[in-house]
Amino acid sequence: MIRKFTFPALLLALAYALWASADFVEIAAGIALFMFGMLCLEAGFKFFTGGPLEAALRISTDKLWKSLSFGVISTTMMQSSSLVSLITVSFVGAEMITLAAGIGIIMGANIGTTTGAWLIAGFGLKVNIAAYAMPVLVFGVLFRLRQTRAVQALGDVMLGFAFLFLGIHYMKIGFEAFQSSFDLSAYAIAGFLGVVVYTAIGMLITVIMQSSHATLLIIITALAAGQVSYENALALAIGANLGSTITIVLGSLSSNIGGKRLAAFHVLFNLITALFAMLFITQLAGLVDTLAITFGIPADDALLKLALFHSLFNILGVMGFAAFVARIESVLQRLINAHPQGSQYPQFLFPDALETPATAVNAVSKEVEHLLENAFGLLAHGVSLRRQTIDSEDSLSKAVQQTRRIFLIDVDDDYEASIKGLHTDIIAFIASAQSRESNASANERLFELRRASRSIVEAVKAMKHLHKNLRRHGLSANPAVRARYDQIRLQIAQLLREIRKALREEPGELVVLSLDVARLEQEKIGKQLLLDLDDAIRQRKIPVSIVTSVMNDEDYAQSIGDSLLRALAILRSAGWRPSSESLALSNEDINELLEK
Amino acid sequence: MKAKKLLKRLGEFLDADEKTQYREFTATKKILKALKEKEDTLKEQLLITLDAQERSAIQTKLDVIYAQRKKGVERVKQLKELERSGDGDAKDK
Repeated sequence: MIRKFTFPALLLALAYALWASADFVEIAAGIALFMFGMLCLEAGFKFFTGGPLEAALRISTDKLWKSLSFGVISTTMMQSSSLVSLITVSFVGAEMITLAAGIGIIMGANIGTTTGAWLIAGFGLKVNIAAYAMPVLVFGVLFRLRQTRAVQALGDVMLGFAFLFLGIHYMKIGFEAFQSSFDLSAYAIAGFLGVVVYTAIGMLITVIMQSSHATLLIIITALAAGQVSYENALALAIGANLGSTITIVLGSLSSNIGGKRLAAFHVLFNLITALFAMLFITQLAGLVDTLAITFGIPADDALLKLALFHSLFNILGVMGFAAFVARIESVLQRLINAHPQGSQYPQFLFPDALETPATAVNAVSKEVEHLLENAFGLLAHGVSLRRQTIDSEDSLSKAVQQTRRIFLIDVDDDYEASIKGLHTDIIAFIASAQSRESNASANERLFELRRASRSIVEAVKAMKHLHKNLRRHGLSANPAVRARYDQIRLQIAQLLREIRKALREEPGELVVLSLDVARLEQEKIGKQLLLDLDDAIRQRKIPVSIVTSVMNDEDYAQSIGDSLLRALAILRSAGWRPSSESLALSNEDINELLEK
Repeated sequence: MKAKKLLKRLGEFLDADEKTQYREFTATKKILKALKEKEDTLKEQLLITLDAQERSAIQTKLDVIYAQRKKGVERVKQLKELERSGDGDAKDK
């Protein structure tokens, strides 16, 4: 009920404030332009995340200094720690980078985001920044109107910077005018109470605006206009840092366990850093004064000193945490665990995996493997063998021959429970990923993975038909009939074992090529089955009424094999490989080998 | 120096097709080497395996690898031919 009226009430209050004060209009317009600039920047940079950003993320994972540097550089370039944090959450969620690497990037992003304060304090308020914004705006619009998507994205980035500059300019004018009519500095609170109150205010502003950059802009312009005291501005900056965790916490709500762990670290890092800065604010301010002299910052330049303070407490925080990354990672993994969820539910398809094309492809690939895992259980039980038997080194032909009971499973029910829903979720996720900004290779891969998912479903459907006859004739008293069905069960069991082996190996060309052996084996067994069947018919060992069933079931077994091998080849190919494509055996090559 | 670098880049851009072929050539050579190693290991295994069923399974693997390597060697020859004919065309011009 309260929620329903909060937003309209906020709008009304804002409308009244805009109507009542012309100076407030300037300030509010400045904030709005600044935030619009950030949205444009995010939209522009998101286009480029399909390539260089992802490649850089992957190679920046092995060492802490690399992930830290990546966080600093990317956030400095994009001027948005939220975008870097959200992408990092999606990469950790999709298991493309480790939690430790994600922690490094988040820490780096915390340092990188402080460059915004330097930009505003050192450049934005000291020169006529609007003069720079205008030409960038003109070029940005021109680029935005072009047909090529990359040029459009570049236009978005330019527009983003132009609006950021304009926002700073309007805020500056607004606060200067505001100063003459209203003096906020009268509300300055000294001492530790002031630190607590202003930290809370800084946090609240950041939570409302969802941007620590925008809060810093307000703090610096207010400080420049003398509306807040230097001490209170320091506390506001601490609050802005703390408030920025909300974005990543909100982003991680839809994430899987990896993303949640990273969000928990972000909260922990910002909370401890903020507490440290609040408790030692006097000492830190003293250190800022000393460093300011070293860096040649004038003692009365409160703006640059604020920027220095912002950088300093974040750098100190990183220095404090850097030594314990491995320990923090293991603690987070121990404390934050996934609630056991049924295998019928998706394990990797989370909305934040849609953030970039690579994470979407990775999530779908892992989910299709999960679908294959579910199908494996169903198919193994379908031929009345336990999963453990398939996974062991025991003789499969003995296990088949020694079967005393056919598993009475309801393939239809199992299909509905563990295959159909998951397949539908995969298709829906792929559709969502394709409707977003993507690239040709990611779309191609998603198309292939959809084919793999469908092949797995086809294999299970073939098992539905095969299992009906297996229940009737699988343990037939007629030795010839039993022998035929044993052969069919063995054919599927051997294939399942090969698939399990291939799944344990890393994707690559050799694994894909090794699947040709399974294909040849399948063809050999199929051919032998037909020869044996002909022989059994000639010698009247099998009643004619059962012959057609055996023939149909052999077709189903063949279809299961073909479908699973097709799916596995896609899963293990990891994209188009010209060399393995030209070396893989065609149907004619397989037939030629069979003739031998 | 800068102009030379730019011209080299432009040349690379225009020869994208050749570059793809070269990449396929090196990738195929690499995989042929890996297959040869696998073939040698399997041959050694075949020498010490007595069980008929296991021997048959190893022989199937060997047959497949032999067929794949044969295709690979042919593809490498083709790519070399293409490279040579490309050079020839360039010289004719």
